[in-house]
Order: sequence, then C-alpha cells, then structure tokens
Amino acid sequence: MKLGRSLLMKGLSLLFVVIVTLFLMNLILGATGFSDRMLTALVNDQVRIQRQTLSQTIQDPVELQRIVDQLEETLIQAYGLDKPWPMRLPQMIWRVMSFDLGHAKTAQTFRGSTLIKDLIMERLPKTVLLITTSVAISAILGLTIGTKIATKPGSRLDRFFSNYSAFSYAIPTWWTGIVFILIFAQTLRILPANGMYSTPPPTVPVARFLDLLWHAILPISTLVLALSGSWIYLTRTMVLNTAQQDFVNVARAKGLPENLVMRRYIIRVAAPPILTNVILGLASSLAGAILTETVFGWPGMGLLYWNAIVTVDEGLIIALTFIYTVIYVVARMILEILYVILDPRVRY
Amino acid sequence: MGFNARDAVSEFWASHISKLGVALLVGLFAISIYVFASYPLDFGTRYWNSPQHWADYPKAVPPAWTQTFTSQKKPIHTTLVSENPTIRTTGIRSIEFDINFDFRYDDFPQFTSFSISELTHWDDPPIVYVSLVRPDGREVENLLEIAIPFPSADAEPPFTKYVNVPFRTYLPGSPVVHHAVSSFLRKEFDMALTPSEIGRTGPEQFIFGAPDDDGEFTTVLKGSYTLKVRFETFHQDDTVDSIKFVVGGKVFGIMGTDILGRDLAVGLLFGFPVALFIGLLTSTLTTVVGSVLGIMSGYMGGKTDNLIQRVSDVMNNLPQLPILIFLVFLLGQNIWNIILVLVIFGWSGLTILVRSMVLQAKEEQFIEASVAVGANSRWIMARHIFPQVAPFVFTQMIFYTPSAILAEAALSFLGLGDPSLPTWGQILERGFQTGAIFLGYWWWIIPPGLLIVVTALCFVFIAQGLEPVVNPRLRRMR
Repeated sequence: MKLGRSLLMKGLSLLFVVIVTLFLMNLILGATGFSDRMLTALVNDQVRIQRQTLSQTIQDPVELQRIVDQLEETLIQAYGLDKPWPMRLPQMIWRVMSFDLGHAKTAQTFRGSTLIKDLIMERLPKTVLLITTSVAISAILGLTIGTKIATKPGSRLDRFFSNYSAFSYAIPTWWTGIVFILIFAQTLRILPANGMYSTPPPTVPVARFLDLLWHAILPISTLVLALSGSWIYLTRTMVLNTAQQDFVNVARAKGLPENLVMRRYIIRVAAPPILTNVILGLASSLAGAILTETVFGWPGMGLLYWNAIVTVDEGLIIALTFIYTVIYVVARMILEILYVILDPRVRY
Repeated sequence: MGFNARDAVSEFWASHISKLGVALLVGLFAISIYVFASYPLDFGTRYWNSPQHWADYPKAVPPAWTQTFTSQKKPIHTTLVSENPTIRTTGIRSIEFDINFDFRYDDFPQFTSFSISELTHWDDPPIVYVSLVRPDGREVENLLEIAIPFPSADAEPPFTKYVNVPFRTYLPGSPVVHHAVSSFLRKEFDMALTPSEIGRTGPEQFIFGAPDDDGEFTTVLKGSYTLKVRFETFHQDDTVDSIKFVVGGKVFGIMGTDILGRDLAVGLLFGFPVALFIGLLTSTLTTVVGSVLGIMSGYMGGKTDNLIQRVSDVMNNLPQLPILIFLVFLLGQNIWNIILVLVIFGWSGLTILVRSMVLQAKEEQFIEASVAVGANSRWIMARHIFPQVAPFVFTQMIFYTPSAILAEAALSFLGLGDPSLPTWGQILERGFQTGAIFLGYWWWIIPPGLLIVVTALCFVFIAQGLEPVVNPRLRRMR
C-alpha cells in the first residue's frame, strides 16, 4: 500500500513539474510577444492557403477579398488573437502540449512533412535510442569497474579511474566528439563521422542494422566517455562508504565468501544512493546527447534543436523544450520506480 | 563538525592534486590579469568581429612552429612598412619608397597586399606605380598602377585621406596585377598567359617563381627582392606618411589563424578572463542563493521551508540545457542573460543539500542555548549555522565553477553565445560550422577545447583536494 502511495506522490510531484514548466514557458512566451508572433504566422499561413483554393472557384476579386477577410476574422477569433495574451494562456498551453505549433521553417521529416508534430515524432525514437544505449553501457561499465576498484582503494587502477572521472567531468562532450571525428574519421578514416545510415541506406534488414551500428560507434563512445566517469566514481565511493560499515565487518567475520559479502552486503546497500546520484546526473546525460547529436549529425531531436536555433524557429524550440522536459520527467519516474524496488526502506 | 583552519590547509596541501589545481589557478589568473590590463573591453566588437581588422592576415594557416617538423619551409607572414620616402624633384616630382626584403622559403606566399596610409594632396591626386625587382634581376614593371580617387567637388585642399583606414589593394584580386604579370611573362620568358588565366591560378607563383624546364612555375626564386613604389605628384607639398607591403604567410604566429584571418592566439587569450568571469561569478551567485535559501529552509521550517522546498523541487526537476536554450533564445544572446539563467537554474540542488545539513546542525546544544538566551534567528543562522555548512558550501562553489564554464561553452557551441564577447566555445563553434574538422584545420579546433578542459580541470582538482578536508570520512580512503 505504502509503495503505491509513495510512487503516486512522486508521480504527482513530477506531473506538477511538467505543469509548472508549461505554465512558465507560456508565460514567458506571452510576455515576450512570441506567442502573438507565432499565432499571427499561423493565421497568415492558413489565410494564404485558403485564398489559393478559393481563388479557383471565386472569380470576382472583390468577393474573394471579402470572403478571405471574413475567414481571417474568424481565424483571429479562433486563435484568440483579438484578446490579450494572458487570456489565451490555457489555449496556448494546450497547443504546446499537443505540439500543435504549426510548421517548422526548414526542417522536414523523411516523408517531407514540415509539421512540428510529425518532426518530433520522427526524431524522438532516434534520440531515445542514442541516450538509452549510452546510459546502459555507462551503467554497466560504472557498476563493474566501480565495484572492482573499490576493493583496492589507493591502488594504481583506482587512481587511474579517479583521474579518468575527473577528466570525464571536465571535457566538454561535444569537443570529445569533434576530436573523435578528427582522429577516427578524418585521419584514420575507419569510422563514419556523420549521420545514422550510409547514403543510400542498405535495404537488407541485417545490413541496415550493421550500418546503424557502424554509424553509432563514434556518437555512443563519445557519450559513454562523458557519462561513465561519474558512474565509476559514484559506484566506487558508495561501495567504499558501505564497505566500512560495521555490518560488513560482521559478515566478513562470520566467514562469508568475499563475493557474497560484496553482492549481498555491500552492493545491495550501496545501490539506492548510487541511483540517487544517477537521477541527479540525468540532466547532463540529456545535455550531452543534444550536443553529441549536433556534432555527429545524428538525426534526433538534439540536431533538430540546433537546426531550430540556426533558423530562428520559435515553434520548434518551444516544442523541443517541452518534449525534453517530458522525456526528463519520464526518465526520472522510471528511476524512482527502480529506487523503490532497490530500497526496501521506502516500502515499509 | 569541529573545524580547524590550520589542519584544513595542511590537509588540503598534502595532496598532489590540490597543488596542481592551485598552480593551474594561479596561471589562469596571471594570464587573465595580463589580458584584462592589455585588451580593450570592447575587443569583441571592435577587433575580433571586424573582418577589416584581419584583412592583412593570412587565412586559415597553421601555427608557425609546425615548421620545425618539416623540411619544406613555408613562408612566414611578413609585414613590411616604410615611412622614409625619398623625394625626387628632377622632372616630375615624385615620392619614392624602396622596400628590400628576403624571401627564402620553399613555398609561395598565400597572398600579397599593398596599403597606403595618410596621403595628403593639394591638387589632383598622385598616381601610384609599384614595381618589384626580383633576385634574378628581372623587374615586374608596373605591378600595380593605382589611380587614387578624386576628392568630392566641394572639398577644399589640402585633401588628407586614409588616416584611420589605409587604402588597401589585395594583389591576387586585382586585374591590374593580372595584366602586369601577363606582360611580364611575355617580355621576360616569352610565355603567353592571359590575365584571366593568371587570375585563376593566382599571380604569386609568377611574381615569386622561376620557370622549370617545362615552363611550369613551381620553384620559388629565393633571394632578396626590392619593392619600388613611386607616387607621381602634381603639387610640391603632397606627402605620403607610410606604405605597407604584406607578404602573406602560409604559417602564422603561435596558434595560427582562422578562415577570416583572425589570429587565434589573440582570441584564445581573451577567452581566459571571460571564462573565469563567467565561471566564478555564476558559481558565487549560485552558492550564495543556494546556501541562504538552504539555511532558511532548514532552520526556519514551516511555511518558508515548504515553499522553498517546493520551488527547488521544480527547479531541480528540470533538464538544464533545453531550458537554457529556450530562455537564452527568447531573452537574447547576452552574457548577463546567460549568467542569470545559469544562476536561476543552478541553486536548487545546493539548497536541498544545505537544508539537510542544517536540519542536523540545529539540533546541537549550543544552538538551543543561543535560542534560550534570546538570540534572534537571523543572528543564529549567520553566526552558528552558516559556519558549520561553510566548508561544504565552499567546496560546492569550486565544484560548480567548471560546470558553469562548460554550460556557457555548450551554449556557445550551439550558436547561442554572446556575440560581443568571444569565448573559447564560440571560437570552436565557428570552426565547427566552417567545417574546420573536414578541412583538417586542427589548430582551430584542438586549442580552444583544450583550454576549456584545463580550466575546468583546475577547479575539479581543487574541489577534489578539498573533499577529504570537508568530509573527514573520506580521509581514510586515500
């Protein structure tokens, strides 16, 4: 019972975050006049299209103009442009939530649609693929290496990985990517520097998958290099902290085998705090992915972000900021559930 | 949580990492102070982003020290200035400049340019003739013939021109030069090359080269050259202050140049104080806000606590970079906006941590005693609570500095940096957008990134050195 309640509370507070973000985003959009501009552009777009279709049936220019004006009036009312922006807030919030933000300026989907909604839906899986793969690899590396070096604190290996994590924190992800391209794609010419598939992409599914792997090596290595440092360091520190507790000494004194002590007495206890820190590091993973996509031309939402900045595409930036907030919150929720599973104290 | 300052310092100083961090920090500050003292504050707008300022610099060439690894010596950038004309009064009055220079490299110059500064004339403007005498005794006659534009009809003599901005001719792009080289080749080597053919290949190889057996100009004619400049004047009081001849190098300085000819060493140096400024200001503000709110939240409890915790919970649950992009995009690309947004979205994590420390600290007896004797809460928070969390807060401040620098660099890399203030991130962004990676311009890409890394590492090292001081449990682990 208590488990359900604590998860529900977490879920509600994260939902609250999304709502507050949405509200604040729209407040800023309204106050800076962006929402006016965006909606006006939407209205003008529709009026232009309607005028084109109408001009084929209505020959009289005066009549045409009258109907178009009438249409524009209705649209302005429908979009609430006749009212001041605070009155439009609920409508605007709904618009952002449903990605009903019109067309992107230059970006388009594979099929040629420029609708922001279509764009986000097409790019979302590609970003999720990149992030989850990299985080999974970093987690595995962190947990194995971290626990290993924690057994021999102060050893050469331990010092190496301490320095490694310091570097991993200090090196900008995107610069690592650039250096990788310079080394592996430009100088050695053994890995592709750009995109997700070769052009043209292979048609056989197996070849297509291998091509994807081939293109993913550099972006994923870049992200793993950036993320694994903190995973390793955190695991090491938490394991080391737990290993100094009395109950671990007792377990050892009882003569339990070392790997059993490690698994059941140390890692089991150290896992929740490790996870807490992972939750705190989630934002930087997301940021790293945005930049990595930009460097490697990985056609996910991060690259779309960059495209939106370069082409000054407000609608796209709003949509992306919102979807990233949602992704972040969803990822946090998953980690919270994991946390509850790992830490029995939360349950009882 | 007993804390002894002298012990803390010796504990901190005991580790090599702290020493390295402090040494780096001293270096960073020394360079920043030097730059701050010697650069104008509007360096970004006045020099860095003004293409005119970099016109006479070679474009996208590697640093000069790369020469030490090759036997083929590429020309080093040379700027020749002459301020001592000889005035000839026999026949037509003329002002003449001679510039002697050595050219002994294995490659041709990237370009050549000729500039005139501070010309004063009383009658019609003088006509300028430029010739080049080569080491083989041949002369490229009338390499340049410049007709100085006439002054406007209502102006009164003396006419003084080109005081701030010199009158500049870029030789590879000048049709006059193409014609002069064409006739030079016909006369001296009996070769027929049209001016437009010369325009396509560039005139440098013909001006500075000698033909081989196949008539190809691939070898450089090494030796001393003389540039002869003659201003034929129409009034006896006409003067020319100085002329400049630039032999564009194929290597430049200690850091090379970018595609606009900007001296990367100059831009990279300017990045030092900017990075420190952004990093330290942001981290200081963030820790001040974070710890004040954390102490208030923890000590005062009740409604204040609830409000602060709710807000910081929301803040802490936001993905930083997307929000940063959104806000800087809307508010404008300005360094103050960037710092403001970084502070607004940076304090929450610290507040939560400080609050939990304060909750423990306020249970201590001497605080109860203070309350009992009637001290007010502000005094207790400042005098009793703050000193207990101060070491931790200080470490967090050091630790937050690199993340502020990295966040600014990331924003700059996405094209959202402050255009009036060149930073390492922006230099990298320009390089990346110009395709420097694919063109192999490594000197444009590697150094700015390395500087970001070194600066960030400096603070990480210091924070790592401070960690065992603040958290004594870690002491046993080293």
